[in-house]
Amino acid sequence: MLPNASGKVVVTVGRRVKTRVEEEGKIEEINVELPHEDLPPWEEKNLVWVGKGIPRVDGFEKCTGKAKYTYDIHLPGMLYGKILRCPHPHARLIRLDTSKAQRLSGVKAILSQENAPPIPWYNDSFLFDRTLRCVGEEVAAVAAVDEYIARDALDMIEAEYESLPFVVDPEEALRPGAPPVRPGGNLLDGKPIIYSRGEIEQGFDEADLIIEENFSTQVQAHACMETHGSVVNWEGDHLTIWESTQGVSDVREGMAKALGIPISKVRVIKDFMGGGFGSKTREGKYTVIAALLAKMTGRPVKLMLDRKEEFYATGHRPSSLQYVKAGVKKDGSLTAIYLRSIGACGAYETPLFPSKFSMIDALARPYRELYHCPNVKTEVYPVYNNIPVHTAQRAPGHVEGTFALEQVMDQAAHQLGMDPIALRMKNYALKDQVEDFPYTRKALDQCYQKGAEKIQWEKRNKKPGEKKALICEGIGMAGQIWGGGGGPPAYAIIKINQDGTANLLTGTQDIGTGSKTVFVQIASEELGISPKDITITLGDTETTPYAPRSSGSRTVPSVGPAVRSAAADAKRQLLDLAGSILDSKAEDLAIREGQIYLKNNPTRKIPLKEITQKMGNNMIMGVGSRGPNPPQAAINVFGAQFAHVAVNTATGEVRVLKVVSIHDAGRVINSMTLNNQIEGGIVQGMGYGLMEEVIWDKGTGIMLTPNLHAYKLPTMLDIPEVVPGVAEGSDPANNIGAKGIGEPPKIPTAPAIANAIYNAIGVRLKELPITPDKVLRALKI
Amino acid sequence: MKGFTFHKPRSLKEALAMLKEADGKAKIMAGGTDLLGAMKDGIMQPERLINLQEIPDLANIRPDNDRLHLGALVSLHEITVHPSIQKRFGILAQAAQEVGSPQLRNMGTLGGNLCQRPRCWYYRGDFVCLKRGGDQCFAVTGQNKYHAVIEGGPCFIVHPSDTAPALLAMDASVRIAGPDGEKIAALEKFFMTPRDNVTRENILEPDQILTEIMVPLPREGSRGIYLKARERRCWDFALASVALLLNIDDGICQEIRLVLGGIAPIPFRASKAEEVLKGKPIEIELIDQACRMALSGARPLASNAYKLELTQALIKQALLTLSNK
Repeated sequence: MLPNASGKVVVTVGRRVKTRVEEEGKIEEINVELPHEDLPPWEEKNLVWVGKGIPRVDGFEKCTGKAKYTYDIHLPGMLYGKILRCPHPHARLIRLDTSKAQRLSGVKAILSQENAPPIPWYNDSFLFDRTLRCVGEEVAAVAAVDEYIARDALDMIEAEYESLPFVVDPEEALRPGAPPVRPGGNLLDGKPIIYSRGEIEQGFDEADLIIEENFSTQVQAHACMETHGSVVNWEGDHLTIWESTQGVSDVREGMAKALGIPISKVRVIKDFMGGGFGSKTREGKYTVIAALLAKMTGRPVKLMLDRKEEFYATGHRPSSLQYVKAGVKKDGSLTAIYLRSIGACGAYETPLFPSKFSMIDALARPYRELYHCPNVKTEVYPVYNNIPVHTAQRAPGHVEGTFALEQVMDQAAHQLGMDPIALRMKNYALKDQVEDFPYTRKALDQCYQKGAEKIQWEKRNKKPGEKKALICEGIGMAGQIWGGGGGPPAYAIIKINQDGTANLLTGTQDIGTGSKTVFVQIASEELGISPKDITITLGDTETTPYAPRSSGSRTVPSVGPAVRSAAADAKRQLLDLAGSILDSKAEDLAIREGQIYLKNNPTRKIPLKEITQKMGNNMIMGVGSRGPNPPQAAINVFGAQFAHVAVNTATGEVRVLKVVSIHDAGRVINSMTLNNQIEGGIVQGMGYGLMEEVIWDKGTGIMLTPNLHAYKLPTMLDIPEVVPGVAEGSDPANNIGAKGIGEPPKIPTAPAIANAIYNAIGVRLKELPITPDKVLRALKI
Repeated sequence: MKGFTFHKPRSLKEALAMLKEADGKAKIMAGGTDLLGAMKDGIMQPERLINLQEIPDLANIRPDNDRLHLGALVSLHEITVHPSIQKRFGILAQAAQEVGSPQLRNMGTLGGNLCQRPRCWYYRGDFVCLKRGGDQCFAVTGQNKYHAVIEGGPCFIVHPSDTAPALLAMDASVRIAGPDGEKIAALEKFFMTPRDNVTRENILEPDQILTEIMVPLPREGSRGIYLKARERRCWDFALASVALLLNIDDGICQEIRLVLGGIAPIPFRASKAEEVLKGKPIEIELIDQACRMALSGARPLASNAYKLELTQALIKQALLTLSNK
């Protein structure tokens, strides 16, 4: 450890404890070292920077085009990589002739199954495999002096395939005799994933009303503005990778493993990036391919996917079919919830989550957790089909599951003649019923109440579809539960400079959410140094201490407490130094807005700068780590959203006029970035609800929507007025009181819209996306 | 995209000579918003591009006594803001406003909007379909929610243009220049069904250029409307659209031209619906009857029957609006 200002060496005695950490529903027990100091919660009234909507610290760079994305990296002598992809949904590669391409001037290397190391990838397949299970799988790759030559070279590679039987439709894939996507059957691990508590049949017997419905949800693409890709450079045996990623540390670990080199030989850098939404959590095949091509040629290689590849080869939110049966008593209390669901994996199991925590099963979690219900059974069938593998997308599973569950609740309320909010309050869950732990905090009731006020809930149609008109308006709502508690390990370092400024270093990344700004604010708050005097370095595995990938809405609650802990450590050392210079006791001093002052006489103060100037080249370094989560407790983010829609009953067109979005994400660090996340989640959720859909031709396995025209993202004209808000207060789960907000606002958007449509026209839309054809069809029935 | 050479003729004559010389290996380019996308997707691989943008007069808007002359390179944006088009040729201004997005309307031209290739996702995707020289239309048994409900077969594209139905409703004609001189064709005769020729959508030969669109001034008292239904509010082609020109005098329908977009391989003139109303007082019952007749003979595919109701709803809305019902 470092000497502190008084010259003493501070030694942290290792105290290791077990703690429970959740990421997108995957729960792990890990060992963690306790931080050097257990910081008490901030006092609300004293907060200076935390809670403020300060503009992004990197806003200028982004707005002026100075921000460098992976796409912008250009190294001397750099080659361009391109990937040849399989045109068949299921085939065996029987011949590959690269000789013509090899001879094309400007081609420097060709990589394929013939010369690439057998690097294991999905299931039991390899980086380049002779068996290809979906259109778009990697067959070969080229490095050339420019992109055009690389593309031309791909056209000159002769690949011969033996076509194999294939199946695209997930239901068909489950039928006996369906073409096998992989050896061992099309059902993942050969059995459904079952969760059960209580006695489901008894629960239905006790019910006064049974609701039974079928729902289906579509494949949604991430459609990142910046496509996936890497720039790689070898210097000797040291590999540097610029990667558009949500997890620099994960890419480092994955690349070291794939290439069989120590992680200390791999550096991963991500400065700015154009979107990930769950699809950029680890290295891609393209990253490994780029590194191998660079090794072969001794030159840096840039390999960025094009838009079509972005749709084909980077994962998607899986589709689902959900059969739901729920039992309620006359007073509204739930007696039983049953879910049977089929989810499409694509050709492989996503490597992100092993089958025990299958992302396909994630859709069952809201059924198990959102409401108090003694008898719950969920039965999920993850099925292989010949389309590309799915991956995490913003609140995986919860988005699909909540779409169905919240419509079932709305339907139950309607049939019981209850206010949908009253029905939800009747079934309010006071603890995590799966883990049997209390929540650290749950302010969902506040979200319901606040949201209802802001949307003017009383103005909804008392009887759904009661007004007959060309344009019918309606109001609907839905709630959500998500993880988002974060946890260790995560570290941060703060250096205090002679001029009174500070550098904050941490190994997380800002994936566009504003985490740079949020961490600067946290450090400012604790240190008493203005945000403008703090610079932050992240997204670089070589220069920063470890912090986790940005997924599961956990960046702020995981890394934020470590930043605060580092700042507190630095502050303690600063005050020691100030005490020795000012001849006061350190504990009598405090820092606020760059001034050191006496606690009992704040008028006696001295600028921090005058103290730090006296340090010379002695440095103050604060080191912080993320402490454990509270034992025997569940940390969750909750929320409720309300939609006001207008439905054209003649054309079936739906317009979302307004969405009110209130979440319990604990303490707000930056109100502006919080609102950004809410707005972004609603736009993506509305796209999911009304227009976005990846569509495959079932006869060929070819995607019909691999471009930004056929795949319909919402435009500015489609986006409703968004009224964001939070449940007041902080969560005792960690030392900054914050939980994650990245994913939650997406979850209840589509069901709130669907319930609003029901309120408007009295017809329930159970298939996503809710396009005019479906509305017209539903109105006709 | 494959490599190509780029040519900038200074006159129509020069452009026609280049086109003839290229012998089918060239494409002409106006705004390029459709062509460049098709080239990037590998649907077209011309060896030469002949850019018309530097030819004088092709982008002129010229009203004379009884008609409006629009150069084929007039941008869609210009049409939406031109005061006399807004005033006298309102349907066209409305239709142009519904095209794509502001960026596309800035670059896209009227001629290009009429000559654009279909958006069928099989044609635009990795499929060798009928239109691309193959032997089947994949939409017949495939994903066909956007495809033709009438006049389809053997290929089931829909004509994607917004301005074509509006221009047809106004009885426009087009000037076509070719190696043997110029000719004028009624727009009604310009479009071709897949039955006529599955590889193209209009009568333009590879060595011809559409140079001008002429729109007769609608008779006094005529009113027009263009309605478009779609899945998102902009940058989306029509699920169905309706262009209606109506002249009512003394409560009697003197003239009616009703043209439908997004439902057939050509902009579809709903003559049967026109017949129901022409010369008769506009009454609700007749309007309903016209709506029913508009698509008689339609044969929807598995997933596009909704277009029938949708189109009828748009026709009804258009008729009600223009007859002040």
